Amino acid sequence: MEFGIFMELSVPRPWTAESERQVYANALEQVRLADELGFDYVWAVEHHFLEEYSHCSAPDLFLTACAMQTSRIRVGHGVVACVPQYQSPIRVAERAAVLDILSGGRLEFGTGRSATWTELGGFRANPDETKKTWDEFVRVIPKMWTQERFSWEGRVFSMPERAILPKPIQKPHPPMWVAVTSPGTEIDAADRGLGCLGLTPGGFKESEARVNTYRARIENCEPVGDFVNNKVHTVNFLSCSEDGDHARRSGLKVASMFSYMASQLLSAKEVLPTNSYPSAGLLPALRRESGGPGDAAKSFKGVTMGTPDDVAGAIRQWEAIGYDGINFIAQFMEVVPQQYVLDSMRLFAEEVMPQFKHSSKTQPVSVGVA
Amino acid sequence: MPLAGSLDIRGLLEDAPTVTLTDRELHVNGVDILQVMYELGFSAVEALVPAALNPTIPPVVGFLVYQAAESEFGPFSLVQVRLTARAGVRPRAYLVSACCDSPAAAEALSGSWGYRIRPAEIRLRRFHDRVDCTVISNRQAILEVGLVDPTPITGHDIQYPPGMHLARIDDEGTTRPRLIQVDSEYEFRRADRGRPGLGTFNPAAWGDDRLIPVEPVSASFASCDVTITNVRYICNPDIPASEGTQNVGSK
Repeated sequence: MEFGIFMELSVPRPWTAESERQVYANALEQVRLADELGFDYVWAVEHHFLEEYSHCSAPDLFLTACAMQTSRIRVGHGVVACVPQYQSPIRVAERAAVLDILSGGRLEFGTGRSATWTELGGFRANPDETKKTWDEFVRVIPKMWTQERFSWEGRVFSMPERAILPKPIQKPHPPMWVAVTSPGTEIDAADRGLGCLGLTPGGFKESEARVNTYRARIENCEPVGDFVNNKVHTVNFLSCSEDGDHARRSGLKVASMFSYMASQLLSAKEVLPTNSYPSAGLLPALRRESGGPGDAAKSFKGVTMGTPDDVAGAIRQWEAIGYDGINFIAQFMEVVPQQYVLDSMRLFAEEVMPQFKHSSKTQPVSVGVA
Repeated sequence: MPLAGSLDIRGLLEDAPTVTLTDRELHVNGVDILQVMYELGFSAVEALVPAALNPTIPPVVGFLVYQAAESEFGPFSLVQVRLTARAGVRPRAYLVSACCDSPAAAEALSGSWGYRIRPAEIRLRRFHDRVDCTVISNRQAILEVGLVDPTPITGHDIQYPPGMHLARIDDEGTTRPRLIQVDSEYEFRRADRGRPGLGTFNPAAWGDDRLIPVEPVSASFASCDVTITNVRYICNPDIPASEGTQNVGSK
């Protein structure tokens, strides 16, 4: 199993001149510790305009800071919005390559398309188009990285032949992923040879079915890149303490606040009738799971909160249904003290992580070599 | 925490509908529904909804038009001006006010579900290239809204969140201010989507002159059977819905 930490960079009101700086500083401290402790990944989201929920609109800059302050942990774009109104795929390829160079070849490249009207409407992007634009982005970006010069006449964008520079340090290119929230996106991931970056907490039965579908489909994939990234990760909340009740109380504060704030987002589907979002993905799932702040009764099964034994037990369940990794949300809206987050990570690394560190089942494979 | 509503409801309660809670349901076949949504300016985002609700970012106004060819009241049309909101974690639409062209329908909707209604002349006209709605009150158009270039979609892609209606609940001779959650079920026959259009909108005539549409979002038109279910939840307007919601019925 692999383990990561997942950064939303949420900033609670009231906002002061120091609020955002402090959240970023706390996050960087968590990343430095994660690097020391042996966590495999730090993922940073890309969100725009999502007041309080996420002030992480330039994740490549944040991840560059992470890379400069660490030596081992892999830095994950989790995920780049593949929406042309947000950014050109050329600029995405360029910036990601710079991050890969500056991190010494530690980039994990996640892709996605946004799900909120707040973001898509803010850029005047068309929600009907985001699946299509995502497809073209993931098709061209690995080519931009691997071809000396590149040209393209596509549906979303076009360009004459140019050298897109620099090139990533990882050869043939960094591992590629897609965020999976809406039902069916695991099939999109598998068919394109992309890692499955699960962002929706869910039940074991539903999760196992999606993992099995992914594993079966990826056997016959036509990868968009030069290799298949056959990995499935999920997201969970981390709260680990020798005092299990304290861990659960603290963890549920984070989980409840995350669910509550996510439920406040204005999904594209809510205001625009579109079949591009078969469900609103993360948002209805969280609405089902959440009863609101302070509601300690609701948490999804397999939540990684409690004593080290509790957490290890939950991870074994996720491992048993086929997951390769879990990315943890350990803090949200600064609802638990920074010191608790750090202590929880330390205890997890000392007591839990060693039990899983040598059981990774899948590795990226080169096309034609699998 | 997310932004919380701060609408001063004291003035609104003076002429709010008085509701007697019953098990009444209203079923209407063959209703044409036009829904047009626009983003509002942010200047009064918190002041547009009661403290029980959270506004959405951005705030969105929905113009929701029902035209029923037949009902237990005869033909009637109803136009609602609603704001997207949250009750706890649930998507809801706060009713600013409504207009209705049938006194009998207005009386029933007001008395059982807390629709804040005043009479108006309502015209909904459907063409192949557009759908238009005009609301006339005191000989003046207070709303001209529509959909342009309809294209077929599945009705299940359209969302009409439950309404939250500010009313006074009749409770053994005394009245209590409450938000009434109005749930409706829809059986779609056909649906279209198109570009939203807004000609005239007089927000003061609808009860809140701070409603300034600034950005088009969507428009849909559907034909369906509608059931407004019995009231199941009411909510204290002064405290967060996650704390102040009461179950008063079952279905």
